[in-house]
Amino acid sequence: MGQMVGIDVGGTFTDFVAYDPAQKQLKVWKTLSTPRDPGEGILGGIEKGGALGAIDHLRFGTTIATNAILERKGATVAYITTEGFKDVPFIQRGKRKAHYDITWVKSKPLVRRQHCHEVRGRITARGGEYTPLDEDRVRALAKEIAAEPSVEAVAVCLLFSYVTPVHERKIKEIFTELCPTKPLSVSYDVLPKWKEHERSSTTIADAYVKPLVSRHLKNLKARFEARGIGTKRIAVIRSNGGEMTVDGAADMPIQMTLSGPTGGVVGAKQIAKLIGVDQLVTLDMGGTSTDVATVVNGRESFTTSFEIEFGVPIQIPMIDIRTMGAGGGSLAWIDKGGMLRVGPESAGADPGPACYRMGGTRATVTDANVVLGRINPANFLGGEMALDAEAARRTVAEIAKAIGKTTEETALAMVQIANNNMIGALRWVLTERGLDPRDFTLLAFGGAGPVHVTDLMYHAGIPSGVVPNYPGQFSAFGFIMTDARIDLERTAQMTSKAFDAAHANQVLSDLLRESVAALKEQDYIDRIELHRSLEMRYFGQNHELDVPIAFDQFTPATIASIWDAFHKAHKARFNFDISGETIELISIKVTAVSLTEKPDLPKLAASSATPKPVARRPVIFDHGALDTPVYDRGALKAGQRFVGPAVIEEPASVTVVRPGDAVRIDDYGNILIGKIAAA
Amino acid sequence: MDMVAMNIIDSAMVAICREMGVNVQKTAYSTIFSEAEDFTCALASPEGEMISVAEFCPAQIGGVPLLVRSMVREVGAAAIEEGDVIVHNDPYRGGLHTPEHTMFKPIFVDGELMGFAVCIGHFVEVGGMVPGGFPGEATEIFHEGFRVPPVKIVKRGKDVPEVWKLLLANVRTPRGNYGDLRALISAVDLGERRLKELIGKYGKATFRQTVSDLMDYSEARMRAEIKAFPDGHYGFEDFIEDDGIEDKEYRIKVTVHVQGNEVVIDYTGSSSQAKGPINATLGVAWSASYNAMLHLTDPSIPKNSGCFRPIRVIAPAGSVMNVNYPGSEVGGNTETHPLIVACILGAMAEAAPNRVMASEGTTHGCFVFGGYDELNDEPFGAFDFSYVGYGGRAFADGNDATDSINGNCANTPTEVFETRYPWIVEEYALRQDSGGAGEHRGGLSISKTMLSTGPVMISQMTNKHKRRAWGLKGGREGVSGATLYLQANGNRWQTISEAFGKVSPSKYSNVPIKPGERVSVKAPGGGGYGDPQKRDRRLIVDDVVEGFISRKKAKEDYGFEERWIAAYGGDAPSDKAAE
Repeated sequence: MGQMVGIDVGGTFTDFVAYDPAQKQLKVWKTLSTPRDPGEGILGGIEKGGALGAIDHLRFGTTIATNAILERKGATVAYITTEGFKDVPFIQRGKRKAHYDITWVKSKPLVRRQHCHEVRGRITARGGEYTPLDEDRVRALAKEIAAEPSVEAVAVCLLFSYVTPVHERKIKEIFTELCPTKPLSVSYDVLPKWKEHERSSTTIADAYVKPLVSRHLKNLKARFEARGIGTKRIAVIRSNGGEMTVDGAADMPIQMTLSGPTGGVVGAKQIAKLIGVDQLVTLDMGGTSTDVATVVNGRESFTTSFEIEFGVPIQIPMIDIRTMGAGGGSLAWIDKGGMLRVGPESAGADPGPACYRMGGTRATVTDANVVLGRINPANFLGGEMALDAEAARRTVAEIAKAIGKTTEETALAMVQIANNNMIGALRWVLTERGLDPRDFTLLAFGGAGPVHVTDLMYHAGIPSGVVPNYPGQFSAFGFIMTDARIDLERTAQMTSKAFDAAHANQVLSDLLRESVAALKEQDYIDRIELHRSLEMRYFGQNHELDVPIAFDQFTPATIASIWDAFHKAHKARFNFDISGETIELISIKVTAVSLTEKPDLPKLAASSATPKPVARRPVIFDHGALDTPVYDRGALKAGQRFVGPAVIEEPASVTVVRPGDAVRIDDYGNILIGKIAAA
Repeated sequence: MDMVAMNIIDSAMVAICREMGVNVQKTAYSTIFSEAEDFTCALASPEGEMISVAEFCPAQIGGVPLLVRSMVREVGAAAIEEGDVIVHNDPYRGGLHTPEHTMFKPIFVDGELMGFAVCIGHFVEVGGMVPGGFPGEATEIFHEGFRVPPVKIVKRGKDVPEVWKLLLANVRTPRGNYGDLRALISAVDLGERRLKELIGKYGKATFRQTVSDLMDYSEARMRAEIKAFPDGHYGFEDFIEDDGIEDKEYRIKVTVHVQGNEVVIDYTGSSSQAKGPINATLGVAWSASYNAMLHLTDPSIPKNSGCFRPIRVIAPAGSVMNVNYPGSEVGGNTETHPLIVACILGAMAEAAPNRVMASEGTTHGCFVFGGYDELNDEPFGAFDFSYVGYGGRAFADGNDATDSINGNCANTPTEVFETRYPWIVEEYALRQDSGGAGEHRGGLSISKTMLSTGPVMISQMTNKHKRRAWGLKGGREGVSGATLYLQANGNRWQTISEAFGKVSPSKYSNVPIKPGERVSVKAPGGGGYGDPQKRDRRLIVDDVVEGFISRKKAKEDYGFEERWIAAYGGDAPSDKAAE
């Protein structure tokens, strides 16, 4: 068997993880990213990794699509929609980004208005044809767009196409014939879900990135062949944490918008299995931002509601990851009222924290951690980068002077405020969804996650924590464990008072068939699992709860069971239900997963000996400085235990353990902290 | 003052308010909550000071302090027990207008009252003379819906069935209202639980001290902002075009007295109260004054009652700015409020040039309708927003299609609208040429044209069908709004006054619309800022090429010439800046 390789192409670094099934060994390395030519970084990195031998399965996550949108470097798109509605992307939803900010300027859509075209033809809310499609006009438009060299891609979104796609399909047929060279994105294929602004924005975004992404991916494939790197399968990670083939990605690139951070969540799911928990919250803290997500009952949480910038929604099935602008590089500052604040402005990778010696002159969270003794300036990145502890002290002291505290008190306050910001992010994904932090385990990774893990456990009320192996490359690690996954959803609005079982059965069977077909089309034919769920709400509400079902046919008995399940789900989520109330079904969802081969993770040698600290140093915790033992993670063995205060150092990060927290190293080398360590 | 504890407790409280809001949004029935977020969640001290609030509806934020104080005064602190929930909607007891219901839940720690969780939400259906709560021709508070003084809807954790029965017997859509009431109660339940946890963590004494410091901090920040304005007396006025009863304008007159680090906002000289429902309650006069001041100052100041301490409001009783019982008032909160804010911003145009804009359209459209849903066999009521153009600014054009300044509400998508209600929407578009010309032009408003597929009863409370949004510094006026009606197979669009004999084209009650008839609701555009002759030609060309402005209008306003397209076309400067 050949190697499994996971690659996470980030803005600054590209991380690589290779697993060799024959030797049961993991290899981890990183290279600098090459944003101008992303393929070069991937190929160069594989070569840097040395003789890998045959690669069976190579998967990578990339931010090409996201960056094209954020930097507005996508294609010129022509947009075709229903007569009377070409302004939907400009009107958006009518909201302002923030109250009270008179300087706000509304976002522009990814399409120019001069390239928006309306066609006559109207489907009603119940799926009937109210006005037939003006096919002559569509033909004329197709010819016009084919002949217009500045237009590079076409997006189509008609009202109510999620109920009846006949008009959109006709347009697709005509464009395939008369405008065959320009990539086409059709809303029914992208996401057949109601709300026209969200659906059209997503469809336009797909068209916007398609020419660029196709080019990159084709180029990458060609280079693998040219350099003779043999792979059985190259896959791209989708926003839903599943993988798809390179051709699949080129066909619907919007599906890879949030590709990168999903690896951490997929990896988290596997770690949850390994350590025997099923409620996990992830914290991926880097230099400028922190991503949080949950694994609930052993499964990732998904969403389709995401805005890449305010007013520009991209609604594709994706792992529900919340990002906040707080990281090791977050800058401390004093506001006009004399209050100490931390972030969201960040020193980023360049110039970085003051202690990086790269020109940073303002105190960051990392500098505060150096002052507190939590980060060892002599052993950062495994000693590859000697930090300037003096610069850290000097910049923190400047802040201290402004607020009249000591340098140490100020450093502690900076870390407390940064932690409080991150607790806000944990609240989004836990308490705001009715989840109780006391049932969870916090999995911390990214360079800065382990530094803050025990403080966050304490303040967020999360009893257990885990720091996985290679916390700095954890997302790439997750990529070697992804499955192929298709999430389909279709709006099928009806109420419990007027339930159309025939229509519901039609939609469900279509989705089951189409999802399996979509996997098979990409040659994923083995071990296919199907999951079905319904989005429902009390009739009159406007937000749905996802209720899983386990049947393929709506019958009087299964229909009765779904209403009952909804009442229970509502009570569990919101603390009340309304018995006897009319319930509305909004969407039917089907997920098809083709399970792939998983690595058999290597185990660590065990020891019952008390681990020996490699050093001791004073570290400042909430109630003052403590003489704290320092452990080298590489020397720790499975089964070893100790109690904080402690600091555990490794090349990519450092785990800070609060006084009194129990630590245990598990069979695989994960650092378990708190309740789970005591077990 | 422990600035670190303050920062942490402030953001924890804002998170609690946000979480309460998420509960309301996810469980409420009226789309005005669930899509439009026309609600507010806050925490208050036992004395009625707002200690924290999350960003939902701006109009309601300034209303919280008066609401809590009025409630405590009437119910009496001694009569409030743990587990109670008090409901209230009375505009004559500190409320903003009848549709807005407020729930209060006391928060006790070890038997001591530590504060209140507060949630205000706009109910679409409240009884009264029209379905949808906006009778444009109401002349008394009793026409506008069922009045609820502060009463306990839940007592020591148990529903009070008599109150529920009364509330639900007086509205057209009891099923939906039940859901909305439950949604608000679930939010204050959650707020109580979370604030108790927070106080438990820090202790009562620390919590109380920190919250008091936090309000002092916001006050100090606000005073510093006010001090930066030059001292002086800044005046401005504008008019509500009519009140739905008489064809007569009503003056809103404002004088802003900036005196050191304090400001007095004086409405003396405003018209006597109107017969029709455009009057502001005292709560609206306060809330609008606060809203304007929060726009004029640094948006990062933590929002609590401390912000309002340096602001004094003079609103003469019996005027359109402070209506006397039992005058009608439902439009005071939707139409008069944004007009007041526009006047204050206009008054401050010289003193704070980078914190103001020309007039926006100052209306939410407030197009309401009701009827019978045959498929689900029950009555329905609905509220539909229109989006106005915002005013041009010293540094940018006015935003297109945006909710007026005292709301921040999202639209109901056409695909949801048609699924729910008996209309086919034929057009949902920006109105070309609706923004006033200027160096920075006014924003465009929207037009929505609907074909009825079932009988509905419509009512409306809007403004600027006759008047226009003013420009600043030589910027021109925006275009008026309109609501037009077309008979089945007809070919002449008429105003509601022409077609149905109503006094006002913009404020009317109970107009029946039959299947096959059409209604088109057009919102007013924003005013321009600065001399149109100074407008960057690249922006003019971009507006023409993109169709935001017609060639004809571009020629009239800016002297546009066809050859400019070649000379100044390509990327507009704002696009360049983004690259």
